[in-house]
Amino acid sequence: MNSEGGASLPSGPDAKKRRVSYFYEPTVGDYYYGQGHPMKPHRIRMAHNLVVHYGLHRRMEINRPFPAGPIDIRRFHADDYVDFLASVTPETLADSVHSRHLKRFNVGEDCPVFDGLFGFCQASAGGSIGAAVKLNRQDADIALNWAGGLHHAKKAEASGFCYVNDIVLGILELLKVHRRVLYVDIDVHHGDGVEEAFYTTDRVMTVSFHKFGDFFPGTGHIKDVGVGTGKNYALNVPLNDGMDDESFRSLFRPVIQKVMEMYQPDAVVLQCGADSLSGDRLGCFNLSVKGHADCLRFLRSFNVPLMVLGGGGYTIRNVARCWCYETAVAVDVEPDNKLPYNEYYEYFGPDYTLHIAPSNMENLNTPKDLEKIRNALLEQLTRIPHTPSVPFQTTPPTREVPEEAEEKMDERPKPRIWNGEDYDSDPEDDKHWTKFSTPARQHAVKSEMQDEADEMEEDKKHHLHHHTSC
Amino acid sequence: MAGWSSLTAGSVSDCVETIDTCQKNGGFPETNHVGSVKDGVDFDEGDQMGRLRCIFNRVLAVFLKEIGDGGGFVRPVPAVIGDRQPVDLFKLFCVVKDRGGIDSISKNILWSFVANELGFDQEAMCSVKLIYFKYLNELEKWFREICETRSSGNGDLHPLSSELVREFGGLLSGWPERKGKSDGEVHLVSGECNGDDDEKVCNYDQSDILISLSSLNKKENDRKRKREYLVGMLNWVVQVAKQPNDPSIGAIPGPTKWKEHRSDDECWVQALRAKEALLIRRNVNSKTEECLQQKKLKMHPLLYEDNIVAGRQCSGRFRCSERLPHSVKSQSCPCCHKKEVENDSMEKAPAEVDLLSTDATSEENPHEKDVSIGAHAQADVPEWTGVASESDIKWLGTRVWPLKREEDGPLSETDLIGQGRQDKCGCGFPGSVACFRFHITEARMKLKRELGSLFYHWRFDRMGEEVSLRWTAEEEKRFKDLVKLNHSNSPFFEGNTSNSSSFWDSASKWFLRKTREDLVSYYFNVFVVQRRSYQNRATPKTIDSDDDVTELGSLSNGFRREIVEVSANSLPCSLNQQSTDFD
Repeated sequence: MNSEGGASLPSGPDAKKRRVSYFYEPTVGDYYYGQGHPMKPHRIRMAHNLVVHYGLHRRMEINRPFPAGPIDIRRFHADDYVDFLASVTPETLADSVHSRHLKRFNVGEDCPVFDGLFGFCQASAGGSIGAAVKLNRQDADIALNWAGGLHHAKKAEASGFCYVNDIVLGILELLKVHRRVLYVDIDVHHGDGVEEAFYTTDRVMTVSFHKFGDFFPGTGHIKDVGVGTGKNYALNVPLNDGMDDESFRSLFRPVIQKVMEMYQPDAVVLQCGADSLSGDRLGCFNLSVKGHADCLRFLRSFNVPLMVLGGGGYTIRNVARCWCYETAVAVDVEPDNKLPYNEYYEYFGPDYTLHIAPSNMENLNTPKDLEKIRNALLEQLTRIPHTPSVPFQTTPPTREVPEEAEEKMDERPKPRIWNGEDYDSDPEDDKHWTKFSTPARQHAVKSEMQDEADEMEEDKKHHLHHHTSC
Repeated sequence: MAGWSSLTAGSVSDCVETIDTCQKNGGFPETNHVGSVKDGVDFDEGDQMGRLRCIFNRVLAVFLKEIGDGGGFVRPVPAVIGDRQPVDLFKLFCVVKDRGGIDSISKNILWSFVANELGFDQEAMCSVKLIYFKYLNELEKWFREICETRSSGNGDLHPLSSELVREFGGLLSGWPERKGKSDGEVHLVSGECNGDDDEKVCNYDQSDILISLSSLNKKENDRKRKREYLVGMLNWVVQVAKQPNDPSIGAIPGPTKWKEHRSDDECWVQALRAKEALLIRRNVNSKTEECLQQKKLKMHPLLYEDNIVAGRQCSGRFRCSERLPHSVKSQSCPCCHKKEVENDSMEKAPAEVDLLSTDATSEENPHEKDVSIGAHAQADVPEWTGVASESDIKWLGTRVWPLKREEDGPLSETDLIGQGRQDKCGCGFPGSVACFRFHITEARMKLKRELGSLFYHWRFDRMGEEVSLRWTAEEEKRFKDLVKLNHSNSPFFEGNTSNSSSFWDSASKWFLRKTREDLVSYYFNVFVVQRRSYQNRATPKTIDSDDDVTELGSLSNGFRREIVEVSANSLPCSLNQQSTDFD
């Protein structure tokens, strides 16, 4: 990360232009969860404001989303839950019709009923479904919706400030056209709603990087890998406080690399929850904006249709910074660190810069922990019945895909953008890989994997038992 | 964590030395306070309450220090609210406990009642709640835990707990009953807790506390003896550790005979009991309480209010100590107990198991939470048919950019994409509020030229301080006054949404012609901007855009029309007199 510093995007395969589509609902900033509530939709307006003052809109197509209706939301959510959301208001809260549902749908505490609640959900979901349709129609290579990414919402339950799971709805839309969708979640909280929604299918693989242990929502154990057909298609990366750029990257890149190789998704959804940034009000990681955006940069380099969504983020000035910078990454611009003058300029003082310095908080993730996690995950990934076209390999694939693989690839629609060649973005990645796959290292990894494979086998019986008993 | 409780228990015993010297005014006694010895006068009720209050205060002091130590931040005592009115923490604790604890109070919206009990008016309820949360919540949890340990049917009383039981009498009992009082959703207290076989159940009345207290007095001598006893035992353990073969240690029978041994006189018996009790404690913590607590892993609304400036670790610690206050597992959140973890690699082991375990201990270490399986949880994902289905094009929404031909602004846009602000500025006082306002206005004009009607569609006209143009100076002043007025009663502050409308509701009454949306918009676009601009210049090291609590501060007289109406091209900003606002 450090060596990349403030350099602009490297020329090379990654510098290819992408057609970027961006969804923005102009009223979104006016929704208000209630006083003292950390979730502030205003941050989306702030991000948009920065995007426009940087002139980034000139590289995108921008749409106002079509609000998702109750019927559309029912594609995932339970009927009575949607009816409730659509009809409840702060004024009717006390009605017997609504009050008896509050507990059942977990509405009231973290997830208050506020003015315009359903409109907010509609805008958020409409944007994500719209982003999916853009990708489905091949109108865009990257589609952004910062009002989306509300990953905690369950089928019939609000949770963690999320009511309607726009991500699940967006992915369901993507699945109309794409056989396999990869979901990646870098919010500091576990992406439980999305994981749960697709826990039993192999058509969606979920990968969540999150703080684990004494932390909301409490799910996301490394051993939660999916069930039935979905087994091994849920990947959880449990982390501890103080994750910094370097540590995060040392997990994110190899794991996602492997996921892309093994799973070969036809589309990718990235949830960019900004509460994993340093100094977040609720989070406990120590990522810089650059480190956070590196995840997007890396996924973008695979040339797979990419949906980019918001999520958490409770120090709103940093959320705006982060999503603005990530918009810039999407459109391949390296913006000035000195912020342009804008309506919310004072929010960004006293330095008025785009980037933030990580704090000196201690990183409680030791290199040993990280390596262990990485190995366990890479091992889990070997359990995915890899498609015939993707031979198992611990080494990075050569630049040419083997011919026989090419033929069998016909069995499924070809990746539209990614031709299997240029997932490798910048020269530094090569270095990274070389380091990771020197023969000695490789050997070590392999034997370790073997051992762990045996243990895991044993383990899984327990695990499965555990589930069926619940 | 076990270390914590034992330490605290020890301190409780220590504090007994000074109990009798305490005042009952709620302040903490000085540790080196030289007091008179109790002279055998019978306690009247007041004295007994005072005594209990003293013990309570001492324990609380140790507690606060203990929670605070990691972050180097100890909460000040006495706690004050509003205009520095002190809060009687002991009374607060008793009142809350009588109503079944913090969860029950919050659930049943009893905070105003609590405030009244303490002699405050209703507006203080938020502050009282906060005080309780910051000062007493941990203590409540700890008491619950002790209570649970005692009543979980483990026969012998925990030696440390029993020390405490004697000290605290009624304060310790009574927690389990709260289960019945709460509305059945939160069950911090184990279901095994219903039988309180060796302690009478407390009826949530202070008289019960007093009854227990009188037994405390009777047993006082006994207790003191007991304490010496423990010291003797500890010395013995130290001696064994130093010289295992020393004949003065005495003979210890083999493990098979341990159970038969009933006498408490021998040091080794005591040591074994202590060990056993500590182990039980761990189990209870990790198995029962933890599982139960995790069923309700909600973010407590008050957590939002933690001051980031006080340090990340501080709030981090607070957060996790809130959820798992005294369990072995909280070592997996070492932010709470950094020192322990650093110094003790053994202690760290559970954390690793927890995060990474690939061994077959899933029975021992149940996942924090399981994923629900079934039609009620999963999305309906159709099989892949190979045929792509159509999407409704309505989802494409309304394209607003790029602009249609006829609306295109001047194509001569020269700014580079991604360009930031210019380095230099000709303002008389670069960096002043007025300078920034001038440049912001400039930037807006440029944007308006480029975007045309889209400028309004995106509601740029409703962003930033310009929003205040829809307000009269009079209204603005009223808003600020209202905030100030409410601040003493924590206006923006209450996280509990059932009360959250209070500020805005009262604001709506003040501003009949403003919708709630107007008010919120003013808050984010004007009020916070001005507060932040103040922070940036006055307290640049403690900035916070997200904390609704911070007192209002503003450097300027607000955003005035004349600035907005300045033409971007004509007026050099050095002419602007507003920069004197800085004084």
